[in-house]
Amino acid sequence: MSYGSASGDDVGVLGKLWRVHWPAIIVVCLIATIGTAAQYSVADGSFQPWAERHALRFLVALALVLAIAIVNIDVWLKLAYPVYGVALLMLALVPLAGVEALGARRWIDLGALTVQPSEVMKLALVAALARYYQWLPPQLVSRPLNVLIPIALIAVPVALTLRQPDLGSAVLFTVLGLSLMFLAGVSFLYFAAAAAAVVGALPFILANLHDYQRRRIEIFLDPNQDPLGAGYHITQSKIALGSGGVSGKGFLQGTQSQLDFVPEKHTDFIASIIGEEWGFAGLLVLLALYGLLLFMLVLMAWRSRNRFSRLLIAGSAMTFFVYVFINISMVTGLVPVVGVPLPLVSYGGTSMTTLMIGLGLAMSAYVHGQRPIRGSELGPFL
Amino acid sequence: MLDRNDDDEIRRRFNRRALLVGGTQAAALSLVGWRLFDLQVLGHGRYGPLAEENRISVQLLAPKRGRILDRAGRVLADNDEMFRVVLVPALAGDPAAVLSSVQRIVSISTEDADKHLRRMKRQSPNLPTVIAEGVSFEQVAQLNLLAPQLPGIRTEIYWRRRYYGGAPVGHIVGYVGNVERFGVDDDAVLRLPEMRIGKSGAEAGFEGIVRGVGGAQRLEVDARGRIIRNLDGTEPAPGRDVTLSIDQALQQIVLARLQRERRAACVVLDVTTGEIAAMASTPAFDAAEVAEGITEQSWQRLIAAEDHPLLNRAVAGQYPPGSTVKMVTALAALKAGLIDAKDRISCDGAFTLADQSYRCWKRGGHGRMTLHEAIRSSCDVYFFELARRVGIRAIAATAHDLGLGELHDCGLPDEKAGLVPDPDWKRGRWNASWLAGETILAGIGQGYMLATPLQLAVMTARIATGRRIKPTLERRVHAGPRAEFSSIDYADTHLELVRAAMLAVVNDTGGTGANAYLGPGRPSIAGKTGTSQVSRASSETAQSALPWGQRDHALFVAYTPAENPRFAAAAIVEHGGSGGATAAPLVRDVLLAVLDRADPSVTGSAADGVVGRGNPGREG
Repeated sequence: MSYGSASGDDVGVLGKLWRVHWPAIIVVCLIATIGTAAQYSVADGSFQPWAERHALRFLVALALVLAIAIVNIDVWLKLAYPVYGVALLMLALVPLAGVEALGARRWIDLGALTVQPSEVMKLALVAALARYYQWLPPQLVSRPLNVLIPIALIAVPVALTLRQPDLGSAVLFTVLGLSLMFLAGVSFLYFAAAAAAVVGALPFILANLHDYQRRRIEIFLDPNQDPLGAGYHITQSKIALGSGGVSGKGFLQGTQSQLDFVPEKHTDFIASIIGEEWGFAGLLVLLALYGLLLFMLVLMAWRSRNRFSRLLIAGSAMTFFVYVFINISMVTGLVPVVGVPLPLVSYGGTSMTTLMIGLGLAMSAYVHGQRPIRGSELGPFL
Repeated sequence: MLDRNDDDEIRRRFNRRALLVGGTQAAALSLVGWRLFDLQVLGHGRYGPLAEENRISVQLLAPKRGRILDRAGRVLADNDEMFRVVLVPALAGDPAAVLSSVQRIVSISTEDADKHLRRMKRQSPNLPTVIAEGVSFEQVAQLNLLAPQLPGIRTEIYWRRRYYGGAPVGHIVGYVGNVERFGVDDDAVLRLPEMRIGKSGAEAGFEGIVRGVGGAQRLEVDARGRIIRNLDGTEPAPGRDVTLSIDQALQQIVLARLQRERRAACVVLDVTTGEIAAMASTPAFDAAEVAEGITEQSWQRLIAAEDHPLLNRAVAGQYPPGSTVKMVTALAALKAGLIDAKDRISCDGAFTLADQSYRCWKRGGHGRMTLHEAIRSSCDVYFFELARRVGIRAIAATAHDLGLGELHDCGLPDEKAGLVPDPDWKRGRWNASWLAGETILAGIGQGYMLATPLQLAVMTARIATGRRIKPTLERRVHAGPRAEFSSIDYADTHLELVRAAMLAVVNDTGGTGANAYLGPGRPSIAGKTGTSQVSRASSETAQSALPWGQRDHALFVAYTPAENPRFAAAAIVEHGGSGGATAAPLVRDVLLAVLDRADPSVTGSAADGVVGRGNPGREG
């Protein structure tokens, strides 16, 4: 192969920008536009208080994506472990130094800015695992010790976030980590064994549930038991969606969402607004856009010539997928209410920043990923 | 140039697996797509009409919190009725203009007004925003008069928690705070921003009683969400009042006495009912200061203070109980039939087990002692030997019988369980085998063993009555006879033996607790001293020569009157030196105050100015 000078290192900023996967950027912009329109509608047809800020935030984040994309991939490769270490340290410090926000200690106050360590970890975990598999010769990925190391990389942050408690992040870490291990080529046998162990332990776990956990499951199965509490969200969201029908009631015409029947309507439950006003067709278009983005990310990964790049891209795709899947499942009552936003559509800066930085890293990997990185160029740690 | 580690085979494997993952994702998205189809297309016929009916909005109404009273009916926590002004931006049209009109009647600083306006911009225009609190009744009247010119403005009543008991009941009453974390299973009314829940003390312990049940008002709204009319609803049911077993005036006296020490705690139980007659911990705090808008700075200072004033040492302070548990070892040995009243064990000042030497606090030794004499003089060697004979499991069983190592659910959520160690516990906690020497230490309340003052008071009450006294912070309205507590399973003769020895601790020459003597003509008192080692150095050096933080903890437990027990007490003075010198006189003064305020038939005369027989003895 003689990519030679076209290896992505010496083509200049404009050359790199040219290499960015623009179709994916366009899809992302379309999704964010739908989000802005939905935010406009929830506020009763007003850019205040959400739509304007949502759009501005997205534009800033988009600039960030492009900035990250043109930074040489080697920089991210070098930063992977240090950032993971810092994220781990911050996660461990949360119970000590954390600021109590909304009752859960998830934030750390670093003087001027507050950061959410679990968000940093979402990026750092992907990068660290990708870095690990870049270094590890692929023939050796299924050796027991080589499997234990990434499991430890995943398990420590999972344990730390469970303690906060932040179940959502813990689930995401697990899914992200395991899927990257799978993509890196770890033997099927490990996954089969793990699945068997989980299935085997299930009756035991169910038998040992606390009363309140049982109650939560009961309410989930039958929301009418608690129409003003947890079941309220699900019932109202289903009514809003169902009344939308195939084509919806029309933009700004949704009564359910406008009337505050749907709680958290501009954040976690934004999909029920879209479903009510634009109907099944609208949500299907949105789902198709997410699907298209995932497909493009897969193509980007396929075209990359080193493992670090491929896994970085796969990590970004996986994060989008998990958010979309859990959010829509929650809004339609398939899973209990867990507080996961709809990517780039729900109002809120934290998840958007994480997703867009992740996308930026994937872009950087794509832009620079034509060049193989030799295992021998890379030490185990530095 | 090609990286051999990234050859085509590796890439093909990645591509295969990526296809698999992508396929799974596609399948999962199809699943939610199908679910949407099911809800929106197939379910449209069902949900469409539901949405039409969904014009009824439910507004939750907060219940009024119950009061907390002391046993004399004094109000310790109550609600002040307050007024506040609320603005709904959607109805106001121009919130800034309306706000400035309100400012002519109610003083709202320009900064606050800006803050409110900024917040309104950030949230839904239908969401009411509180723009002024603590508004006077005259101002409310004026605002209502001008209502037509103030669209979107309404006045509401709300309650603010007020505390009256001061520091003497600070730990006991506790305080309320915002609902910080709303669990999905919690009462829906907790969602209301004005709801407060108990954060500590009785406010948290009796939350279920004082909170009450929220009401709901059903409203009919139009398509824009404006209220058309009120439909039916349920009124909120106010929380019930809770009457505590403590007396605020008595608490004042007890706390004042405790405050002569730096860190100390004391509990007095009424053994006829289990009621907590007095409970104090120093340093203390005033709930009124915490509840009524404490500044972040003072709060941080309170949390970080070296002496931890927020800690209720009486139930949450866990200390090595020292010699106060010698009665436990004694009862365990008596029950096992290993000794009787006449058996003697010799003390020559030290005890040797497996080449390890354990010293008695009295260097020269006590000589040959009966159980009675050993408790009276608090001989360590006697109890080392007794502990060795009876074994850790029997000691632990008796300790649990007497209420150590157990939570008593007295009504204070900060209650701690202490620790009664046994081999199973050690295996689970440290994954190590139990050592014989640890049994020896447990026999005199050192080593791993930990107890709270409340537990020690319960232990004393159970020894004094032979019944399983359960402490409670709530006043017992129908205080029945003691018989309602089941009997502890120990022979009366054994209990009598221990009680007689406890009486001797205070009243005999050579007793270590002589300082607790209530005075001539006053009720008799039985007790036991305890001095628990904090640092290794303390056995070598005179207590007064040690830095404060290394001195021994001083403990004393007692009950009175000895013939017909009414009150049981336990006290700890952190780093107080010796139990007999520091804790015993403290318990004496507290019990005198308690007896003074109790039913006059049990107490002889006035309490003040009594000095016990001085005998600042030191014991291990």
